[in-house]
Amino acid sequence: MSRVRVTAPRSAVLPARDSREAAQDSEVGQVFVRSLIRSQLRLALVVAGGFLLILGAFPLLLAVVPGLSETRIGGIPFDWLLLGVGIYPVIGLSAWLYVRTAARNEARYRDLAGDQ
Amino acid sequence: MVSVATAVIGFYGLRISRTTGDFYVASRTVRPWWNASAIGGEYLSAASFLGVAGLILLSGTDALWFPVGYTAGYLMLLLFVAAPLRRSGAYTIPDFTEARLDSQVVRKVTSLVVVLVGWLYIVPQLHGAALTIRITTGLPSWVGSVAVVIVVCLTVVAGGMRSITFVQAFQYWLKLTALAVPILFIIFMLAGNGTPALSPPAVNPTSLAPAGAYQNVSLLVALLFGTLGLPHVLVRFYTNPDGQSARRTTLIVLGLLSVFYLFPTAYGLVARVFAPGLARANQADAMVLLLPGELVGGAAGDLLSALVVAGAFAAFLSTTSGLVVSLAGVISQDVLGGEVGGFRLAAVISAVVPLGFAFMTDSLALAGSVGLVFAFTASTVCPVLLLGIWWRGLTDAGAIAGMVTGGILCGGAMIAGALAGAANLAPWLAQPAAWTVPAAFAVMVIVSRATAHRLPKTMARVMTRLHTPERPLATER
Repeated sequence: MSRVRVTAPRSAVLPARDSREAAQDSEVGQVFVRSLIRSQLRLALVVAGGFLLILGAFPLLLAVVPGLSETRIGGIPFDWLLLGVGIYPVIGLSAWLYVRTAARNEARYRDLAGDQ
Repeated sequence: MVSVATAVIGFYGLRISRTTGDFYVASRTVRPWWNASAIGGEYLSAASFLGVAGLILLSGTDALWFPVGYTAGYLMLLLFVAAPLRRSGAYTIPDFTEARLDSQVVRKVTSLVVVLVGWLYIVPQLHGAALTIRITTGLPSWVGSVAVVIVVCLTVVAGGMRSITFVQAFQYWLKLTALAVPILFIIFMLAGNGTPALSPPAVNPTSLAPAGAYQNVSLLVALLFGTLGLPHVLVRFYTNPDGQSARRTTLIVLGLLSVFYLFPTAYGLVARVFAPGLARANQADAMVLLLPGELVGGAAGDLLSALVVAGAFAAFLSTTSGLVVSLAGVISQDVLGGEVGGFRLAAVISAVVPLGFAFMTDSLALAGSVGLVFAFTASTVCPVLLLGIWWRGLTDAGAIAGMVTGGILCGGAMIAGALAGAANLAPWLAQPAAWTVPAAFAVMVIVSRATAHRLPKTMARVMTRLHTPERPLATER
């Protein structure tokens, strides 16, 4: 294998438009693209918002319910379990939901764009 | 031992990675599990390995926000950045901003910011290495920093990104083992000895006041939005074959990080209860290294300590080499013209400059100083990425104005903080992200609106490329 020089980064990023982009340049194509972007953004915002609400609810819960942080499960204080362990499944679940739904949005876009 | 293994894997990688494409993005042939382990290995730095546990020892549940933020930052990256950035086809963040905004000036400003972020982030790694060497061997501090820089330079120069991917994946599992085995041993030993039930972990071994709500929120803003702008994190996404696999990789990374962070938390809790004496000022970061010797002792304690030290060096080496690879990519393309030889020179430059910073500065708490780097990234790179990906109205002038504003505000707060000393610092200066990040976003949007005539002509095409799935027309017809 020989060494290849990387030049003109811009052309590496955006090669001459291919057939896929030509098909999307039409007005109808752009409508589909815009609606895909909107639905992906909405999905990301909803998941992020939901996650942040839960995240905010955790310390609130500890502050509002007195004695909760003194409760122990298996000798470990509840507030440590909540913040140190309990948040991670929430993160994982949000991520999993997002990946599934984002792929579904893209599949729908493929169907629409393919129907042109 | 870690250094030897790293060098061997790097050398092995040298034989398969020979072309420039390999050097930059490992030819995009890396499998998701490898890639996810590599991302995890690269991301878990000195701050995660030593700093988090040390901070938990000092400040208890307040410090639990650090691992939560480090992990949730990846969630934000998945939601807003992972797939579009992969689809942009860019190698580096400056490549991305240049393509999106069709402007060389934006490219230069982004490069500057990225290099600054990378250097700032390498400094705490070197401080961690210095601390570890001083605590464990009694050698002078500089030996640790210099050793890390030399090993990283050799590995990166020898193998480029392809071998780095193998190295990093190995490092994740090494770090996990090195943290998990000693703490599990300690826990089983304590349980077996019939030690008294946990005494209140709310003991505050220092006289530090607990952080207020503002500081926790501001810290979370920095960690949530800082992660998606880290240069060494972004470059990994180019090694995925397409956007959807970039998402799947991120999902695996989230799992790996969640498992990893259980252990620093356990260290913090155990140390708070059974070894509060380790919470000495300026040395809490060494707690993970000292705990096995303190609680186990004897030959077993020595063995476990050796394991932890190996893991710690894995952390310094992996994060530093990840950063050096991505910085070298930026420097060699923008300053040196993009040849393999330039990449090697750039790698050495990227590693040696922060060594100078590390000698000139004092080690703060590791998790805290890394938190500040996240704040800086969140105020500069994050707005330009988020708006560039999701908002059609972003212009080159807006991007530059926003990055400069965020950089000056956050950088100013960091400098003011360094001059004033950590002890008597107002919370809004100690954790600036809560106001610098919105300020950067606001300036970016306002200036873009005012300069709407400068919208790049290629915008619609770039947005299409960022968001449409690969090969959309392959399945029909």
